Amino acid sequence: MMTAQMFFIAFFGLAAVWFGIVVFRTFSMVRSALALLFSQTALGAMFLSMQAEFLGVLQIMMMATEMSIMAIFMVMFMMDPGGLGEMEMTHQKRLSLVTGFVSFVAAVMIAVFVDWGPMANTFPDAAQQTVDLGLELLGRSMLIFEMAGITILTAMIAATAVAIQPAKKVSQ
Amino acid sequence: MTTLLVLLLLIAGAYFVAVLEAWISNGRFRLAAPLYATIALLGRESIVPRKPDRIFFEVGPVLLLLSALLAATVIPLTPDLIITELATGALFINAALVYVLVALLMAGWGPDGAYAMIGGWRFLGQLIAYAMLIVMPITAVAMRAESLLSTQIVVSQLGLWNIIYQPLGFVLFFVASMALAFLPPFDMMIAKGELAGGVEAEYTGARLAVFRLGRLVLIITLASATAIFYLGGWQGPWLPPWAWSAIKILVVTATMLLAGRYMPRIREAHLLSWCWMLGIPLALINILIVGILVLEFP
Repeated sequence: MMTAQMFFIAFFGLAAVWFGIVVFRTFSMVRSALALLFSQTALGAMFLSMQAEFLGVLQIMMMATEMSIMAIFMVMFMMDPGGLGEMEMTHQKRLSLVTGFVSFVAAVMIAVFVDWGPMANTFPDAAQQTVDLGLELLGRSMLIFEMAGITILTAMIAATAVAIQPAKKVSQ
Repeated sequence: MTTLLVLLLLIAGAYFVAVLEAWISNGRFRLAAPLYATIALLGRESIVPRKPDRIFFEVGPVLLLLSALLAATVIPLTPDLIITELATGALFINAALVYVLVALLMAGWGPDGAYAMIGGWRFLGQLIAYAMLIVMPITAVAMRAESLLSTQIVVSQLGLWNIIYQPLGFVLFFVASMALAFLPPFDMMIAKGELAGGVEAEYTGARLAVFRLGRLVLIITLASATAIFYLGGWQGPWLPPWAWSAIKILVVTATMLLAGRYMPRIREAHLLSWCWMLGIPLALINILIVGILVLEFP
């Protein structure tokens, strides 16, 4: 059981990394967006392998819509959405290299050096997990989630307001 | 064994939908027609268009079939006839069905054809319209059952089916699932006679057969979901549970197909404004009403 679990976590982890790489290997915007989707789906499958059923299903569900919507925006705004012209669409390469490397090192350091505490031997079954999660969201963590929700909503309204062209005055 | 049985039932259901759809749309009841059509499709050559996005082109139809099948795995036809009982069953149905969108985007983008691509993006617009109307009514259903387990949802309707307990949710879910299965009048992405088949336009032969099978299985899956969420699943007097499941699923399917027959096609932009300005407020009211009912009359 334990080895099977480890195998699937490793498999989906590698799949997530591979699809993450594909995002930058391809020139096609739709391929890129859907590669990111499958990277996120693989993360959801990792949650499932770790028996966090609700989180896994939620991740798999949410990402499909989000990445598809991202795909249409990428197609609308990029000059060569099909990637057939093999146009160069990257920029600030040195900055992104440095940032990427630093975040990678930081993530590894956190994973290795943080004291994660003892490994849990018993955990509630999937139905109980859902109940616990619901109680947590509507209790102790409610304020945090409401704040996050309102912040995102404000950002969405602001982004839409910025994107809309001001109505031109009709000159007679 | 259960898996095999459910798969066979799904195939039989898909065959029935094909017969029924032809009967309703062109008035001819021919039992053998889908069989001939399948043989014809499989026998024809399957043309690959010029400069396709080969991965998407091949994966699209298969993913459509796969997501409909995955959603069917958590639907109980009798108390024992269910492939897997997930603690997040009601959510999982929706998670699997979201990939219908991904499949149609792939199938639309893949062949590098204008009609197909327009069809694919149209479905994205349609998803933004109906998505909330799938999730919010399911939320109200789960509230009454106090569980996301699909069998628990059926058991919670003992005595009073959800179609009577929360009729508003039923109507919204019914309309939204028709939009999800791109049945008429929500078939702008196929749009026979306008887009020349839309997403289907560039598919021929075996690939088209898989695509059409996926669509049929999707319809039967959604009808089964409606039956377990709102019509009390396998429950009913006199007849055995499997018979009640079958009857309810067939009635829902026939209603969906008939409803589309008598309505003009709805453009996805209009659907979007109807769903967001009328549908979502109604869905929220439904959640509120069910919440009060659950608290006051447990």
